[in-house]
Amino acid sequence: MPIIEMKKVFLLGHREEREKIFSLLHTLGSVELLDIKSGAAWEEFKTLLEPEHAGETVSQTESVLSDIRYCLDFFQRHFPVKKNFVEQFTGAKLELSREDFAEFIGRLEQVRAVHESCYRAEEKLALIRNEETQTQNLLEELKPWIPLSLPLEEIKDGSFTTMGLYTAAEENLDNFLAALSEKVSAHYLEVVFTENKYVSFFYSGLAQEEQPTRDIFKEYTVTSVSFPDLEGTPAHNIDLLQQKLDDLAKQRESTLQEVEALVEYRPMLMACHDYIANELQKIEAVDNLARTENSFLLEGWIPAPVLNDLEVAIAEKTDTAVLAARDPEPGEDFPVLLHNSGPIEAYEVVTKLYSTPRKSELDPTPFMAPFFFVFFGICLSDAGYGLILSLLALYISRKLNLEGMGKQLIYLLFLGGISSVFFGILFGGYFGDLITLPPLWFNPLDDPMRMLFYCFAIGLVHIYFGMGVQAYRNIKAGHLLNAVYDQGFWFIFLNGLILLMLPEYAAVARWMAIGGGVGLILTQGRNQSGIILKFLSGLLSLYNITGYLSDVLSYSRLLALGLASLVIASAINAMSEMVAGSIIGVVIMALVLMGGHLFNIVISTLSSYVHTSRLQYIEFFSKFFEGGGKTFQPFRAESSYIDLAEPEEG
Amino acid sequence: MTGTEIALIGAALAVALAGIGSAIGVGIVGQSAAGLVTEDPDKFGQTLLLQALPGTQGIYGLLAGFIIMQNIGIIGDELLELTVPQGYGFLMAALPIAIVGLVSGIYQGRVSAAAVGLVAKRPEELGKGIVYAVMVETYAVLALLATIMLLFGIPL
Repeated sequence: MPIIEMKKVFLLGHREEREKIFSLLHTLGSVELLDIKSGAAWEEFKTLLEPEHAGETVSQTESVLSDIRYCLDFFQRHFPVKKNFVEQFTGAKLELSREDFAEFIGRLEQVRAVHESCYRAEEKLALIRNEETQTQNLLEELKPWIPLSLPLEEIKDGSFTTMGLYTAAEENLDNFLAALSEKVSAHYLEVVFTENKYVSFFYSGLAQEEQPTRDIFKEYTVTSVSFPDLEGTPAHNIDLLQQKLDDLAKQRESTLQEVEALVEYRPMLMACHDYIANELQKIEAVDNLARTENSFLLEGWIPAPVLNDLEVAIAEKTDTAVLAARDPEPGEDFPVLLHNSGPIEAYEVVTKLYSTPRKSELDPTPFMAPFFFVFFGICLSDAGYGLILSLLALYISRKLNLEGMGKQLIYLLFLGGISSVFFGILFGGYFGDLITLPPLWFNPLDDPMRMLFYCFAIGLVHIYFGMGVQAYRNIKAGHLLNAVYDQGFWFIFLNGLILLMLPEYAAVARWMAIGGGVGLILTQGRNQSGIILKFLSGLLSLYNITGYLSDVLSYSRLLALGLASLVIASAINAMSEMVAGSIIGVVIMALVLMGGHLFNIVISTLSSYVHTSRLQYIEFFSKFFEGGGKTFQPFRAESSYIDLAEPEEG
Repeated sequence: MTGTEIALIGAALAVALAGIGSAIGVGIVGQSAAGLVTEDPDKFGQTLLLQALPGTQGIYGLLAGFIIMQNIGIIGDELLELTVPQGYGFLMAALPIAIVGLVSGIYQGRVSAAAVGLVAKRPEELGKGIVYAVMVETYAVLALLATIMLLFGIPL
């Protein structure tokens, strides 16, 4: 039984030992805590117990944690820790020895100061950025005015004349000039520059004619441009602004240097982050408890096999705690923990990506694993590619300290590589046709129809196997008749239809098809009320034959993907041959071969993985697997940044 | 037109149309992925995976084109002189992956782009997003299969 049995535990302890017991549970990491107030048992305890609250320490700890997060985010923005492609999927962590970790934790009180410095630096950077944009904008505005040799502060209205800078649309300019010469007795206009169909100019007129001039400006939508607070010529000002920008850049540089000096605290912050996050977890867990004046009660789930360990630990390490465990009551929802051993464990990742099984359901992983292994191999079907894939997976698992799903995925690819070597030898694929060895079985390129037939056959086995699992589930649940009606009749009916294609079995096949079909018509409507409705929905159920047909045809992708990886490999080989000849040609040929085959391995592995998964999810799981269970989430130490080295033996 | 020329039109269509489909599809995903990565640069790997998904149609098209080129001897040996019916055979054989590759590439791109949104909120559900996108690719795989079977069935 790959789904682990769960026990419900109740733990009663003395208040004074609460911290100790929590630390113990946290280190063991085998109990999923439940909020006792929301459990069914709360009704019984309600009169005796009070709910426990975590209290003020939560918000204090949270604020420290958010300070640390702020600093780490801030560092990440300016001095990011680069993750490579593999690490982005797996999340690389900092490796620390226990001594270093303890030392970093000891410096927890420095967090406040680092946070303060980070906060100030960020404020300063924001100010600098702000000023930079403003200066830059002014600079852009001022730049075209360089030809104007007049100091800007002198452009103002005097007692006899008005002066100003203006912009008008180019298309209005002629009319505007005509209007000016018609209505105004004297004026001076000098075009400074034309940009984006707008003309900018210096204008001077008589003060007494200001009103008519304004009217004309309004009529031709001439807008005024002003640079308040600036003195000297535009060219001079631009120099000043440029200098200011340089200054700001220098300021930013020095602020960033200050930040860079702070970055040395990053490992310390990372360690503190993980420490505080776990402390917070422990503090918050208190919310799940119920209490009397001097004792507390805790409720949770524990996997049955480790219950004994917990009992021993509690008995050894504590004086007051009492532990009681019981089986889940019928109908009680408990969390699901998958447990598969050996290579099958790798395939848990495929199941988990779909859904966690329900508590009462079979774990589909062991049923699916062999098919996944075979299908993946058929899709890649190249001994050379398989070898490289396995070696790469081996290398990554050695190099990176992977946990959980990442580890399983890498292991799955390793096994996929082995399967691919196997099928590559069967079908004669060694980097496409780079190394020509005769296939052990036959080459699908020479006889695709034959391969297609085998693909359908293996698909049929897969589907029948799924139906078989469902039949087993039905029988186990005591619904023997459901197994006969829903799986048995379909099995007979489908086999009858298939055998009809073989003339020598035609007589038997006809009766099988008719028998199975009649059985389906009579039974598939059994949940309907009324004889007519029963019959009609029974008849309609035969339409599901299209579902089975498309399911089987779907396995043709095994052939298509196998051919695709094979033919792309051959194409790469053909291309590399074209350039061979001279010495440079040989070098290019080697590059084409390496790059091309690496590309093909990545692409083909990706399609092999996703299409094989799809065959499991859509064609196989749909026959018997529902999913939607709750994953077991134990109360244990979690780490976001730090990977603690195992304590050394001895 | 000679048979060889008609066959070449087939090769060109397979590579070009399926390639266009993939280019559009990959483009759609890239746009939404870039949006997500501005917020969260660590999602680059996951989104790149999603972006690669609608790229397969182009490869299938190239594959079909390559088989045609090899069969009529453009690559390797000397060019074969095909009869007109043989040429049409190659052209027709190229059509399934050319047409389905064009359309499915675009739609797979849309599904993958939606999956980028899914990864933004729930990175752990990447697998489900991929499955949705692969549902679309099924038809490109089937079309490729039809194309390959047709190509190998043409008597030369």
